[in-house]
Amino acid sequence: MEYVNPLTGFRLDGRRPNEMRQIRGEIGVVAKADGSALFEMGNTKVIAAVYGPREVQNKGQQINNRALVRCEYSMANFSTGDRRRRPKGDRRSTEISLVIRQTMEACILTHLLPHSQIDIFVQVLQADGGTRSACINAATLALADAGIPMRDIVTSCSAGYLCSTPLLDLNYIEDSAGGPDVTVGMLAKMDKVTLLQMDAKLPMDIFENVMQLAIEGCKAVAHYIREVLLEHTKQLECHRGA
Amino acid sequence: MRDLQLPLNQTQRVRLQAALQQLQDLASQASASSLVTVADTIPVNNEDGILKGHGTSELDGQVVATLCGVVERVNKLVYVRSLRARYKPEVGDIIVGRVIEIAPKRWRLEINFSQDAVLMLSSMNLPDGIQRRRTAVDELNMRSIFEENDVVCAEVRGFQHDGSLHLQARSQKYGKLERGQLLTVPAYLVKRRKQHFHRLEQYCVDLILGCNGFIWVGEHLETGENDMLEDREKRPEISKTNMIHEEQERTFTPLEVRRHICRIANAVRLLSALGFILTVESIIDTVEASASSNIEIKDMLGPEFYVQTVEREVQRRILLSRKKG
Amino acid sequence: MLQSKSFVKKTKQGRVVKVVREHYLRDDIYCGALSCKVCDTSAARLTSSASTILIVDTNVVLHQIDLLENPAIDDVVVLSVVLEEVRNKNLSVYNRVKALCTNSLRKFFVFSNEHHRDTYVKEMVGESPNDRNDRAIRVAARWYQSHLGGSTQVLLITNDRENKRKAIEEGLSAETVESYVKSLGQPNLLDLVSLPTSEDVGMEEVEDLRPSKRKVIYNEHKPMSEITSGLLRGIYHQGKLRVNRYNPFEAYVGSESIGDEIVIHGRANMNRAFDGDIVAVELLPQDQWHEEKSSIIADDEDDEEEDVHLVPSSADDAPRNTNLVQPAAASTASTSSRPAGRVVGIIKRNWHSYCGSLEPMPMPAGNGGIAHALFVSKDRRFPKIRIQTRQLENLLDKRIVVAVDSWDCLSRYPSGHYVRTIGKIGDRDTESEVLLIENDINSRPFSAQVLACLPHLPWTLSSEVLANPNRQDLRHLRVFSVDPPGCKDIDDALHCTSLPNGNFEVGVHIADVTNFVLPGTPLDEEASQRGTSVYLVERRIDMLPKPLTEDICSLRSDVERLAFSVIWEMTSEAEIISTRYTKSVIKSCAALSYVEAQARMDDSRLMDSLTTDLRNLNSLAKVMRHRRIERGALTLASAEVKFQIDTETHDPLDIGMYQIREANQMIEEFMLAANVSVAEKILKHFPLCSLLRRHPTPTKEMLEPLLRTAAAIGLDLDISSSKALADSLDHAVGDDPYFNKLIRILATRCMTQAVYFCSGDLSPSEYHHYGLAAPLYTHFTSPIRRYADVIVHRLLAAALGIAKLPPIFMDGLQLTSIADNLNYRHRNAQMASRASVELHTLIYFRKRPTDTEARIVKIKSNGFIVFIPKFGIEGPVYLMPRGDKGGDWVVDEVHQKVMRTGTNISYGILQTVRIHMEVVEPQPNRPKLELTLT
Repeated sequence: MEYVNPLTGFRLDGRRPNEMRQIRGEIGVVAKADGSALFEMGNTKVIAAVYGPREVQNKGQQINNRALVRCEYSMANFSTGDRRRRPKGDRRSTEISLVIRQTMEACILTHLLPHSQIDIFVQVLQADGGTRSACINAATLALADAGIPMRDIVTSCSAGYLCSTPLLDLNYIEDSAGGPDVTVGMLAKMDKVTLLQMDAKLPMDIFENVMQLAIEGCKAVAHYIREVLLEHTKQLECHRGA
Repeated sequence: MRDLQLPLNQTQRVRLQAALQQLQDLASQASASSLVTVADTIPVNNEDGILKGHGTSELDGQVVATLCGVVERVNKLVYVRSLRARYKPEVGDIIVGRVIEIAPKRWRLEINFSQDAVLMLSSMNLPDGIQRRRTAVDELNMRSIFEENDVVCAEVRGFQHDGSLHLQARSQKYGKLERGQLLTVPAYLVKRRKQHFHRLEQYCVDLILGCNGFIWVGEHLETGENDMLEDREKRPEISKTNMIHEEQERTFTPLEVRRHICRIANAVRLLSALGFILTVESIIDTVEASASSNIEIKDMLGPEFYVQTVEREVQRRILLSRKKG
Repeated sequence: MLQSKSFVKKTKQGRVVKVVREHYLRDDIYCGALSCKVCDTSAARLTSSASTILIVDTNVVLHQIDLLENPAIDDVVVLSVVLEEVRNKNLSVYNRVKALCTNSLRKFFVFSNEHHRDTYVKEMVGESPNDRNDRAIRVAARWYQSHLGGSTQVLLITNDRENKRKAIEEGLSAETVESYVKSLGQPNLLDLVSLPTSEDVGMEEVEDLRPSKRKVIYNEHKPMSEITSGLLRGIYHQGKLRVNRYNPFEAYVGSESIGDEIVIHGRANMNRAFDGDIVAVELLPQDQWHEEKSSIIADDEDDEEEDVHLVPSSADDAPRNTNLVQPAAASTASTSSRPAGRVVGIIKRNWHSYCGSLEPMPMPAGNGGIAHALFVSKDRRFPKIRIQTRQLENLLDKRIVVAVDSWDCLSRYPSGHYVRTIGKIGDRDTESEVLLIENDINSRPFSAQVLACLPHLPWTLSSEVLANPNRQDLRHLRVFSVDPPGCKDIDDALHCTSLPNGNFEVGVHIADVTNFVLPGTPLDEEASQRGTSVYLVERRIDMLPKPLTEDICSLRSDVERLAFSVIWEMTSEAEIISTRYTKSVIKSCAALSYVEAQARMDDSRLMDSLTTDLRNLNSLAKVMRHRRIERGALTLASAEVKFQIDTETHDPLDIGMYQIREANQMIEEFMLAANVSVAEKILKHFPLCSLLRRHPTPTKEMLEPLLRTAAAIGLDLDISSSKALADSLDHAVGDDPYFNKLIRILATRCMTQAVYFCSGDLSPSEYHHYGLAAPLYTHFTSPIRRYADVIVHRLLAAALGIAKLPPIFMDGLQLTSIADNLNYRHRNAQMASRASVELHTLIYFRKRPTDTEARIVKIKSNGFIVFIPKFGIEGPVYLMPRGDKGGDWVVDEVHQKVMRTGTNISYGILQTVRIHMEVVEPQPNRPKLELTLT
């Protein structure tokens, strides 16, 4: 299957190998939550809701000098092509929940909020490849909306290697091709990588190229997220008035 | 509450857009440059010995924001005022909270903060008004004072060692709140003022603007809310104790008062959805405008009134800026 | 901007799924014309002075690809919608179009109209996908017209009536293929235009050759939906059609659902399917399963003939079993074990172009010069093809290439069109080219890109190469090579040193080809495609360019060369004590021929060190060979012949059997040992991606003809294991000295070929090489002429840690396809060699009728097949004139004899007879070798 057309250089959906899908972020979609966001990368739509910092529900887990960060990832029944009921605690969900929690925990300044709990709920509304990255980006937006202090904006993007070309931001068809899939999450301004995951095998030099491409994708997403946040803050501030 | 999803027709949409644009223009003259998002550097003159306050941190010798908000500078202090964060308590704040749990000798209240607040039994007036030492019987009878899910008004007394709040409700104006509605708005919309208890005579409604964003709109009850007024003497026949419910229940809240309560509550909801700062004046203005335009209470949250409110606010701010400038 | 394509699809399980895909529209797609002022012309291809730009339709590309490949057609814009459709319908045409578009000499430009903002077309409600694509083509053509302005004319070429009409209505210029080609004014181009089918411009424009035969000859093919439902229900079976090379009216479909092969008898049952097509077959009722061949062949135009050919060296080349002794008596209606069926539909066509010549026919009278002729393919598996041509008198004596277009059920033969001429029939060069084309062998000269990968000539050993720590300096060793006389591409050399402890250090040095052929380069890609060097009688078609094969890599004598060495320490009983592998630099001191080496060893007077080394190697080799035979290796006889070629005319002067000497066997032993050692090493390091070679054990069925023959002459063969068979063969000694060799030759034709495979695809027990009785084997010793050895060199270098394994080894599917390609090329090279030998045999005997002795190897109802040992060929001898059935001759199956009734004249198997060989021409331009009893 030609994932990259050798004659025109375009991918199946018309992008070039180093182009991302269209991204869109919206803040304040869940009324009840302290912070919430909807993030779309192409056809992948993810909604994130943050509750906190609030009282720790399970006193046994309370940490004295830091906030407790909990994260839950789930996919809606209707998120993929066939409607399927997904069990709540299945392996993949647990793994991705853990991954998102570790990524966000690295950037939240938890020591400023001791004895409290921050809950991040992420749900995939439409899955078309790159759900992990979209979840992290949505969680970042939601946390910023909730006013939780963070070190830096965490963004994430995935890249792969098909037909001997590094491809940025794989969609579902390209992901199912069985090639390697590298997901990178990084702190944009500080230039530090907090998440690095890969499926399949890659020789080292090619891996470096692919990772570099994913990092550039992350920086582009960070740029967009920053603009969204700035716009939102401006709007709130101007509505608030004097 | 966040944005109301309203079905606006075309003209309403256009009017809304125009009004919002004017708001933006007004505001942009003010403080556009000091907006920051997470990880933005705050321009600071390093030699001045700047104090880094909330919402900032240091990175490579530069001051970096950790929140999205507005940079405020007060003398040598630089901090970032965030907008949608949870309530930031200070000693002496009037707050409204809901009882979550009854623990030994204390109640735990949920206020819009990172931890639950604690109201000690000793910080509470006993039903019989006597000042005495709390006994075990008192402890067992805590439930007769407040139960779970009761709405309570109190004042911040201080911070405990673990960062949670310590409340006190000794005065008459504090205590259990009944016959009304509790509304949650984002905490930043309630500014700290001299007065948080407001009695709206014309509606017979009490309005309490809690600093934590919990707003109480309720029927004016003589015994308890407002000790500023002289009504106490006027109605001696009503029971002195304000904690006993049974006598109150005999008199239901009249329909008219309920309507007023709803109208005021809707006004609060509308203003908080628009993101305008909540002051008694603005609330009363909104209520009067709705009454004069003959808008039904339920239509107050509708598209037409929404757009009208925005336009009115625009006018008000224009007037204000003209007065200033 | 983002569009989304959504459609509903049915999965294999039968569920209905909605698929939504993104579709991005861009504004940075350029038109590709050099003269355009607006667009970026960096990737432009269309000439600036072009007056007409052609836009082609899908069907035009699919059917007229030969016309498009002609250099007269240029400045063509291929739309991406057309390219996608072509790819989905026919992959080989797609590859050809791709080659055209990437070829920098041709002006073909690919325009991505599906992603261009202005030319994207959304499907309208109720519009079929075909209509939508046609509309997209028209929109794109219109865009081009408005974009390029008035200076160039944009012409839409389509044969579809509806499309053409709509295009003209919308203001575009549109023409059919024929009218455009006519307007070019080159009459010979018109021959390349393929005949239209009934979907296109009306059939009235095409005359059928025999109007009286307009009746339906073949059954209609069932529609695809019926076929898929039939396959699911199990009433139809899917498989690849394989036509019997020696009897084109018999074909086999290997079906997994039955587990056996389905036999298809007769043209009507084959229902227009070609060899290599994927077909759907319906089984015939059981009583029709055993058909006699005599009752089927109704036409006397075509009937099967046996030809004189080379002795088959494996079961793949030998004729199939069912052509054997068929008693004329109808009583043998015993059911044959194979189920019979008929073709009901064709799932995937495997049409390509075929070589052959036109059937002789008288010149037609008028008709404007267009003649309808029948093309007969050289490969007997394909039917005759009807073509139209203007140059009939020119083509009658030529070998031509023809492509197939369609096969109507009204027409007895498929229709096709002429592609090109190769040369005169019978001319040696033409025939050589024909057999190269038939066997898909690329003999074109290496392209400039490939030659650019060669190092600078003259090549000398540089100090950096010497300084490489991975390369050992072995120039002090006494290395020598032994090869056929006149061999210029020397890829192996040996050395043998006596060690002080009584052992020997033996080294096999192989030319270090991978030092010059780097993975991923055009040189490597070309070699990978070619797969192997092809040895024809008069020339050799190289896998790598000559400078590499004959100079830089070849281990010639007295020059320093790079090598990859396998060095053993072994006892005088050839027990291997240790093995080591290294890259090295050697300097060969002598490049001997087999004859020279043998002479040296035999001459007891010579005592110099080189001869001593040879003798040591020889004795070691003998021990190794003996051990191998103990283990069960088979020694099969090959009936290879060698030609002596006149150096001037390149005609064969003499033909004789190939002589095997001790020196040959010595070299062979060490090469085998090196291959086995390397196989062990690479498998240890790369258990999942090594390239190995295996020889599957022959099944009982395959050995049946051998057993039958042996039983007929009273010989007992034990086939329980390779060792048992080898022993039986050794004990099969008869009265005359040639008997044993004959039995071995018969055994050889029962074996299958050895094949390359990727170690990750099979389990270790299947790695076995039956013929060599080795658990592991690979090819390492001839990288100059085999690409498999190049791959093994790279694996070994990675195993030693000298080099990095190229990323292609990570991809299991690609490795398997490489192994398949190597097997395919190897088989084709062998067939081409054999065909070349047959060709030269024919040329040799053309002027020399000869009488000679022959041995009978197979009995048939109307004669027998003989094997001529002197020349290594076999062919049929008929006892009665062709066409006579029955008669005086009767076959005795048990004793494998045919005898004349009433007399005691009989001919039994393995009997010696005397025959006469002569080249005759029963049809003009079709010479063949005939054998008759004297």
